[in-house]
Amino acid sequence: MSPEWTRRGVLSGALTGALAASLLPRRALALGAGSRIRIAELQLSSGTTSRPEAWRRLLYEVVQATSVVCDPTPVSLSPEDPALFAHPFSVLVGTGALPEVSDAAVAQLSRYLSYGGFLFLDDASGSLDGDFSRSARRLASRLFPTRPMAPLPGDHSLHRAFFLIDRPAGRTARASALEGVTLGPIAPLVYCADDLSGALDRGPDGRDRHPVVPGGEAQRREALKLGVNLVLYSLTSNYKHDIAHVMELMREGRLE
Amino acid sequence: MSLLLGEGLGSQGELSFTLGPATLTALVVAGVLAWLLAWWTGRQAPSGWLRRGELLCWALALGVLVFALAGPVWTEEEGRIEEGRLVVLVDGSASMAVRESGEARAEQVEEILALLGPDVDLYSFDEELRPGAPTSYTGRGSDLGLAISTLADRYLGQELRGVVLISDGIDRGPLSEDLQAARESGGDLDGLLPPLGGPLTVYQVGGEQRIRDSAVEDVLSGGFAFLRTDVSLRAVVRGQPGATLEVSLSREGRVVESKPVLLDAEGRGEVGFTVRPVRVGRFAYEVSIPVEEDDAVPGNNRFPVVLRVVRDRVRVLQVSGSPSYDTSSLRLFLKEDPSVDLVSFFILRTQEDMMSGWSSEELSLIAFPYERLFSEELQTFDLVIFQNFDYRPYFSWGSESLLENIATYVEEGGAFVMTGGDRSFDLGQYAGTPLSRVLPVQLGATGPTSDETPFRPVLTPAGRAHPLTRQGATDAETDAIWQRLPEMDGYNIVAGLAPDSATLLAHPSATVGGAPAPILAVREHGRGRSMALMVDSSWRWSFSEAAEGRGNQAYLRFWKNALRWLMADPEDQRVTVSPSRENVLVGEELRIVVRARDAGYLPLEGERIVGTILSPAGETTPFELDTDASGEAVVLFQGQEQGAHRVEARLSSSSTIRGESVFAVTDRDPELVELEARPQLLRDLAAAAGDASGYRGPGDRSGPLLDADAGRERLDRRVRSLSAVPLVGLLFGLLASAAWWMRRRAGAR
Repeated sequence: MSPEWTRRGVLSGALTGALAASLLPRRALALGAGSRIRIAELQLSSGTTSRPEAWRRLLYEVVQATSVVCDPTPVSLSPEDPALFAHPFSVLVGTGALPEVSDAAVAQLSRYLSYGGFLFLDDASGSLDGDFSRSARRLASRLFPTRPMAPLPGDHSLHRAFFLIDRPAGRTARASALEGVTLGPIAPLVYCADDLSGALDRGPDGRDRHPVVPGGEAQRREALKLGVNLVLYSLTSNYKHDIAHVMELMREGRLE
Repeated sequence: MSLLLGEGLGSQGELSFTLGPATLTALVVAGVLAWLLAWWTGRQAPSGWLRRGELLCWALALGVLVFALAGPVWTEEEGRIEEGRLVVLVDGSASMAVRESGEARAEQVEEILALLGPDVDLYSFDEELRPGAPTSYTGRGSDLGLAISTLADRYLGQELRGVVLISDGIDRGPLSEDLQAARESGGDLDGLLPPLGGPLTVYQVGGEQRIRDSAVEDVLSGGFAFLRTDVSLRAVVRGQPGATLEVSLSREGRVVESKPVLLDAEGRGEVGFTVRPVRVGRFAYEVSIPVEEDDAVPGNNRFPVVLRVVRDRVRVLQVSGSPSYDTSSLRLFLKEDPSVDLVSFFILRTQEDMMSGWSSEELSLIAFPYERLFSEELQTFDLVIFQNFDYRPYFSWGSESLLENIATYVEEGGAFVMTGGDRSFDLGQYAGTPLSRVLPVQLGATGPTSDETPFRPVLTPAGRAHPLTRQGATDAETDAIWQRLPEMDGYNIVAGLAPDSATLLAHPSATVGGAPAPILAVREHGRGRSMALMVDSSWRWSFSEAAEGRGNQAYLRFWKNALRWLMADPEDQRVTVSPSRENVLVGEELRIVVRARDAGYLPLEGERIVGTILSPAGETTPFELDTDASGEAVVLFQGQEQGAHRVEARLSSSSTIRGESVFAVTDRDPELVELEARPQLLRDLAAAAGDASGYRGPGDRSGPLLDADAGRERLDRRVRSLSAVPLVGLLFGLLASAAWWMRRRAGAR
């Protein structure tokens, strides 16, 4: 949703904006730090990696491009940690086979996802059907025994939560679709096989840590758009499937 | 001879006995045994003519006795011819009481009956046939066909001197349609009436001059409507052909709209009124037309009707200035509730975000249709939620009028919620706007406008009693749940509580104007309701509770209670009043169910309910009942007065826990809808009865057609008992005495 621009509105806004800006009360950024969007990285004893700079970059972009209020500093947690429930957006970046997750962790994660939490499984292994992929699928089946992980269709709300995107892109671009488990109006668990965080990660010098193949910088840009969409989707669920949005986008020719 | 046999015993008759064959046989056997006893006891006597004479006399005496005890009956039959009856049928329906030229039609009936004389079989009819003259002319609907058929059955096979029908020809039965159809198709009218056994004479009363009566014949409403959806009320009116009638629609006694209606050549017209109900419940409307001085039936010039307004689904508009965990949780709750029709608008990008280097072609954003939403579409919503939404950057044009629209919407029955955040309340610069006048909190705080120190809200005394903040079955349970719910991240500071508002949750330590700072406040303003939640972290009531394994019940219950309270549906009150029908006829029994629920909305058993039914004229019918196991008490009521009746009921233990409803009583006597006499029907009726029939128009007092030869054979039957005939007693006495004399003479004892 963007504000509607009219010529009259722009003129009146421009005339009054400069004067009003100095008079407006200073904005708070949400009421308290706890309500700002912050990313929780789940860490296991092996098979996972941490990419705080990737998430910092992502939330910086979310702040720049959207109205969402964020705290860009990620927090690292174990799946059993009760503090997980203070951070409804979580990620797990995998590089290889995951150790067996405890039943207590599965129970907590299941509750977390069932009551509004969101988990993004990012496969950084570079392999489409590697050890992490198998581990991620096994974890998903333990979390949702009756709901298999399935490819998200092209018209899924995640693909239009903020940007219009056609297909997933990360450090690689081999998978044709994101996968996820759907519960009612939202898919609380989403799996990406193309190392999204790898495309966003930066080194201490501020340079990109990994080359992006095969698309180069254009693909990295697409990865950033996917990251922004993930955050927005976790906050708006299937909002972009509401009839008002679909009709308007179709009317403008941006959707078929 | 008659001395011996009794009076009137003829020679042409038939003897029979009243005793059955078995009893008769037993009696004969007893007689034989008695004769043998006489023979046995006299066997010592020498035989001779005396002995033989004695036994003969005993045999004859016993024979006479057996004959007398057997119940002999003498039956004689004699036939004679009697003159045929004159049968008179008088229409006793309400239309016969209509006055024409100052005289009721029924008064002409007396003249005609006097003409016919006293020797008649008189019947009256409306929906059924009754012997005798009408006691009053109040019958609902006359059925000429049924009356004639019943009469034909009753006199089946008899020759009648004549049949007379006295009526105005207003028929509500199928016969009139049959006659009309046969006449219009050129068919034969014969066969439409059963054989009557005599010539039919039809006397028409009324119709000498045209009746002046205007009426609202019907109002078609369907009985119910959906909230905020146009519904049409169509009224059918009648009056003088070519005249223009001013038809008015009133609601709760106030005229809503009036429209002129030009009546057609038949004197009929239709008019439609469109209403858009903005509240749920039952509402009384009335369609009326003016009453002229010479109006024959003023009572049919108004037609009350009650419309039941129901909510299809709760239509919610959620507007969020910034997607957050709070907006996400509320959207998921509303989206998953099948009783909610949710329209969400999230501001995903502000003007400040537009310099971030992304082209609009890459974005899936649409324009925020704020002008349409907050003007023409606003009335289609039951609830509007501003969730951390600041209007200024988006209402680029007409912000004052759009906020005024929202305030008016609340005052006219809508519901509004504002939740906290860095774009809400004073931070959203709503102070001094029209919207501030409907909020339950006062804006314009002079100091800081937010506080980011975590805190746990506390229940106020008002919150402990209010259904919105109820979390458990008991007060203690509700208290315990609120005390264990997680801390909030911060809150919006306001200048205080608005008039006529209540703080349900307060800050545990901060105060405003000496009172605890409101965290959750509610207000009933005009016909609508508003709620202010000063935090943007209510999502923690769901998520943190789930972390403890307690699910998200506290969050769901809070928002479900909020929706229920904000909607203010009569069906969701603790005492509800539900008439079984919205519209009933005068005298028709209506079942009114009063339901009582406790604070947790569970049925209240054994609760005393007191209430009244208020008629249009102000007459009250009180009632007092106890609820059953399902929390229900039933009142049965028969309305006798036309118009809207209001029912009020409350718990006897509380003056505030109450409910009310309304129903309409209609006096739609079909006899009084069409008042003009129908001579054509009466002519057709006479024609259908065959050649030997006649029609007497208004004022025609010539005598009825009579069949002078009509008569019937009457069979007189006389039955006489012979047991008490003097001859029987005399014979028995003589024979028994002779037998006894001869027995003694013969020497027997």
